[in-house]
Amino acid sequence: MFRALAALRIVVLVNSVALNLYRIDEFTRPVAAVVCLSVMVAWTAFTTWAYADQARRGFPLLAADLAVALALLLLTPWVKGPDFSTSLPGFWVMGALFAWAVQYRLVGGLVAGVLLAAADLLRQDIIDSSDYGNTFLLVIGGTIVGFMCDSLQQMATERDVAERSAAMAAERARLARAVHDGVLQVLALVQRRGRELGGAAAELGRLAGEQERELRGLIHAQEAVETVGGGETVDLVAELARLERQSVTVATPGSPVEVPAGTAYELAAVTRACLDNVRVHVGEDAGAWVLLQAFPDRLELSVRDDGPGIADGRLEEAAAQGRLGVSESIRGRIADLGGTAELVTGSFGTEWEFVVPRTERS
Amino acid sequence: MSDSEAPIRVMVVDDHPLWRDAVERDLAAAGLDVVAVASDGRSALARFPAARPQVVVLDLQIPEPDGVAVTAEMVQVDPSVRVLILSASGEHADVLAAVKAGATGYLVKSASREELLSAVRRVAHGDPVFTPGLAGLVLGEFQRMSDAPEPGPPDTGLTERETEVLKMVAKGLSYRQIAERLVLSHRTVQNHVQNTLRKLQLHNRVELTRFAIEHGLDAE
Repeated sequence: MFRALAALRIVVLVNSVALNLYRIDEFTRPVAAVVCLSVMVAWTAFTTWAYADQARRGFPLLAADLAVALALLLLTPWVKGPDFSTSLPGFWVMGALFAWAVQYRLVGGLVAGVLLAAADLLRQDIIDSSDYGNTFLLVIGGTIVGFMCDSLQQMATERDVAERSAAMAAERARLARAVHDGVLQVLALVQRRGRELGGAAAELGRLAGEQERELRGLIHAQEAVETVGGGETVDLVAELARLERQSVTVATPGSPVEVPAGTAYELAAVTRACLDNVRVHVGEDAGAWVLLQAFPDRLELSVRDDGPGIADGRLEEAAAQGRLGVSESIRGRIADLGGTAELVTGSFGTEWEFVVPRTERS
Repeated sequence: MSDSEAPIRVMVVDDHPLWRDAVERDLAAAGLDVVAVASDGRSALARFPAARPQVVVLDLQIPEPDGVAVTAEMVQVDPSVRVLILSASGEHADVLAAVKAGATGYLVKSASREELLSAVRRVAHGDPVFTPGLAGLVLGEFQRMSDAPEPGPPDTGLTERETEVLKMVAKGLSYRQIAERLVLSHRTVQNHVQNTLRKLQLHNRVELTRFAIEHGLDAE
C-alpha cells in the first residue's frame, strides 16, 4: 500500500514542481519558492525511504508528514503574494493525506482531510466555488481511501483465514484417506484370514468384512460430499453408497449425480425398501445389486437379487386378496416422482427397474 | 483353463507387508510363480523389466508413484502385461483412472482367496475382471463421454449389445448368467466385456493424444 503511495507521491511532486516553475513569475519571493520546492523534493525522497519500513511508520513520521504539507499550504500567501491562483504544494498534499488514510483508516483520512482543508481555506481571503470543491475533495477523498483500506485489510484477513482452513481441510482429507486405507486393509485381511481359519475366527472375519463394507460405503459417500456445491440438490451417488453392505453391491457412475433433494431421498428410500424386501423374502445374507445410471434426461435405477424369483401368479393372487404389499407401495412412490417401475422376475432372480425423469435444472 | 506349460508369472506390489505376504503365499500355494514383489511405485518400476511378469497384482495406494502411474508405465514398457488392481478403498476416481491407464481387472481386497486366484488366472488369459462396481463406473464414463459436447473419436462408443452386457455385469450377473439370459456363448460375453475395456482405453489414448497436440507436445 505504501509502495503505491510512494509512486503517487513522485507523480504529484513532478506535477507540482512543474506547475510552480511554469508560474515562477507569479511568485513575490522566488528564492523562498525555490527553497520550498527543494523541501518538497527532499521530503518526498525522505518519506519514500521512511515509509518503506513498517517499523518507521509511527505517529512521529505521519505527524511530521502532515505538518510539512500544512506548513507549505500556509506559507503559500507569503511566498506567492496575495494574487496566487494555486497553492504552492498543490496536489502534493495528497501524499500526506493518503498516508494518514492508509495508516489510520477512516478516522485518519478524515482528520488529515479536515486539517488540510482548514489550512487551505485559512490561507485565502475569498472562498470561491473551486476552493469549496477542493476542500470537499480533500475531506471526502481521505475518508473514502481510509474506509477502503479498512475493507481491503478485512478482506485480506478473511481470505487468509479461508485459505488456511481450506489447506487444513485438504490435509485432513489426505490424512483421512491414508488412515481409512490402512484400516480397510486390516479389516480385509482379518476377513480373509478368518474365513480360511474357520470356526470362531470365521465369525470375526465376517464381522470385519461387514465393517469393511460399511466403512467403504461411508468413504464413498464422504468423497461425494466433498465435491458437492450445496444448494437444493443432493448427490444420489452418495445417498446410494450409504446402502452398501456386506451382501449389497452398489454400482454408480464415478462422478456425482446431482438431483433435487426430494427425489434423491425418495429414490434412496425406495431402494432401501427393495433391499429390505430382499432380506425378508430371499434371506438375511442374500446378495443384492443396485445399479444407477444417469442420462441427461432420466435416471435409471435397478435393484436385483439372486433369489428364486417370485412364483407365477403370486403377485396377482396377493392383489386379488386385497393385499397391496410392498411392491404396490414401491410403484406408487416411483409414480409420484413421475417415473415408471417395472418388476422382472424369473429363475435369475427378481429385478426392479425404475426410470425417473430428470427435471430441468434451474 | 490350461495348467499346461509354465506357471503364470506374477508380481505383487503392495506397501502393506502383511497383505503382500498373504497374497504372495496364496499365489505360490496355488502353484503360481511370484517372480517379484515391491512395496512402492519406484521399486516396482525398477524391478518390472527384469522380472517380466505376466500379471501384476497392484495396490492403488502405494508410495510414489501411485498405482495409476505405475499401471500406465508398465503397460507402456510391456503392452502384453496384465495389471490386476487390488484396492482396499476402491475410490471411484482412482479405479477408473487405473482402468483407463490400461489395467485389465479390478478387485476389492475383501475378495476371497479363490476369487483372487481366479481373477489372476483370468487376467493372465487376457480376460478383463470386472466387479459390478467397476462396470457401473465404466458405464457412467461412456455415458459421460457421449454427453460431451465434442464428439468422441469414431469406434469408441459402445454398441447396444456391449452396453447391455456391461449393464448386466453391473447388476451382478456372472458371465455364465449373462450368456444364458442373452442366449450367447460364454466366450462372446467375455469378448463384449473385453471390447468395452479396449474402447475405454483407446478413448483415453485418443484424448491424451488430442491433449498433447493441442498443447504442442507432439513435436519430436
